[in-house]
Amino acid sequence: MGKPMSRSLLFLCCALAAGMVELQSAKGAITEIVKSTGTFTAPISIEVFSDFQCPSCKALYEGTLRPLEDDYVATGKVYLVHRDFPLTMHAHAHEAACYACAAGRIGKYEAACSVLFKQQGVWSVDGKVGDTVCSVLSPSEAKLVRQWATDPQITASIEHDIQLGHTAKVHQTPTMVITYKDQHYPVSGAVNYDLLRRFLDQLLSK
Amino acid sequence: MRRWLLLVLRAVLAVVFLYAAYSKLRQPWLLFAMAIDAYRILPQWAVMTLARALPWCELALGILLLTGFWLRQVALTASLLLVVFFGVMLRSYAKGLEIDCACFGLGEALSVKTLLRDGVLVMSSVALTVLAFREARYAPTQI
Repeated sequence: MGKPMSRSLLFLCCALAAGMVELQSAKGAITEIVKSTGTFTAPISIEVFSDFQCPSCKALYEGTLRPLEDDYVATGKVYLVHRDFPLTMHAHAHEAACYACAAGRIGKYEAACSVLFKQQGVWSVDGKVGDTVCSVLSPSEAKLVRQWATDPQITASIEHDIQLGHTAKVHQTPTMVITYKDQHYPVSGAVNYDLLRRFLDQLLSK
Repeated sequence: MRRWLLLVLRAVLAVVFLYAAYSKLRQPWLLFAMAIDAYRILPQWAVMTLARALPWCELALGILLLTGFWLRQVALTASLLLVVFFGVMLRSYAKGLEIDCACFGLGEALSVKTLLRDGVLVMSSVALTVLAFREARYAPTQI
């Protein structure tokens, strides 16, 4: 009588654990979808590890990622994933990442990124991260985003990105990890778009 | 003693240059070009030329240091090259640029550690150059 009971209990525990793991990975996948652009099956994937308070990340976002999205992501050649890698030296970077992810839940991730980088010089000084992100949202959206910004799930998704960064040996921001045919090419700094374009074309012509 | 020191410095610098060349040549040259460009010193045409040429120059320097041919000239060239690298790195670090050092391929941030390492290499190379010239003065036929 005791044996079948303990077996059932063990089975129940395993099922619960499996369920939790699945739920966790599903959450990770959802966060990734929110923070990614392009076709998943694109030949090249680029993961961008960045920090909203880092000036080089702003330069990369405005000078390189914008044209990259137009020329390569929109045409199905590149799958672009944003990864949060807030550095501890930047006081408001983690909060900014939380707000951007929260905005992502209502499909406003890009808008949040754009305004955070555009106004980087302002909120980095006054610390009004929430106000900056909410300036591009409707009042009802802003209310939700302010609530979600402190959600433990959002923090967990950022921690997940940081862990991925550590695994990919990211030690500075911005760092792009370009993947093509299982080959990974890490590139740090505010990369010149023309050089990046040449590199991507070289990969695609292989 | 001086001979041994000369030999050791030659060997160490040769290995350093050969490894630097290998780590750059094993990856696409455009990645190295992006790393050079991050220093924000050269125009794009110069970046691309340097990214293609520098690894081969390092390879040639490594081989020449190892074999000992034209030691004075080679040691002087290596010293000048390392002084330029060190100056550029120091300038970028002082400006607060968060970039890759790109000394031995990619994935190593420019830091105090990389500056110290390059400083030691500069001193070693200068010492080698001085020793090579002194050796030539005392025994010109052997160099």
